[in-house]
Amino acid sequence: MVKFLKPNKAVIVLQGRYAGKKAVIVRTFDDGTREKPYGHCLVAGIKKYPSKVIKKDSAKKTAKKSRVKAFVKLVNYQHLMPTRYTLDVDLKDAVSVDVLQAKDKKVTALKETKKRFEERFKTGKNRWFFTKLRF
Amino acid sequence: MVAAKKTKKTHESINNRLALVMKSGKYTLGYKTVLKSLRSSKGKLIIIANNCPPLRKSEIEYYAMLAKVGVHHYNGNNVDLGTACGKYYRVCCLSIVDPGDSDIIKTMPTDQ
Repeated sequence: MVKFLKPNKAVIVLQGRYAGKKAVIVRTFDDGTREKPYGHCLVAGIKKYPSKVIKKDSAKKTAKKSRVKAFVKLVNYQHLMPTRYTLDVDLKDAVSVDVLQAKDKKVTALKETKKRFEERFKTGKNRWFFTKLRF
Repeated sequence: MVAAKKTKKTHESINNRLALVMKSGKYTLGYKTVLKSLRSSKGKLIIIANNCPPLRKSEIEYYAMLAKVGVHHYNGNNVDLGTACGKYYRVCCLSIVDPGDSDIIKTMPTDQ
């Protein structure tokens, strides 16, 4: 009886091109909108996970391996698997629904998301979020 | 193991309570609507039949864990659960949204 599909919740996308990728909920639309009359949410996820970084790597190699590619998408609740994890990254100012309308806005939003994901990965927190789901 | 075998008396009482919910309360039957009720935090108790596929059972239990909703593993298969609901079809899982006059929510989540 507790609502769990809230912003900052880590979810796994189940359908579509990004199936199997982890994402974080940025904004929810529980009752839908006129264009999408079903419960859905705006998620920001990882398109390409960072590779495994080992101690032997040089600084240049670490930088190259820690790169993250992000995506932003409006996903139906039915196509998400919620998890018990959360990711406290503030993406509300960078990512919004109108970002998906124009290409240049989307590019800047993705750059910003990528930056925030990468700095979170480098701190070593939320390790589960940045590991690839094996299936 | 404590109470390994469910007595006939408690099994009948679940059936009685379920019949009362069917008559006076609100419920949804079926996997898709159960997940919907959990996502929208409307479900108050989930009942799963014992021959539910284990992946589906785990998924419903995980959602219920996130929503902090009790899950009851019904002592019977989907045919029995459908009969207990008074329906002529099989019911693998159901969600009680509003118990009506029944006290099923207060007395049942001692399970699991």
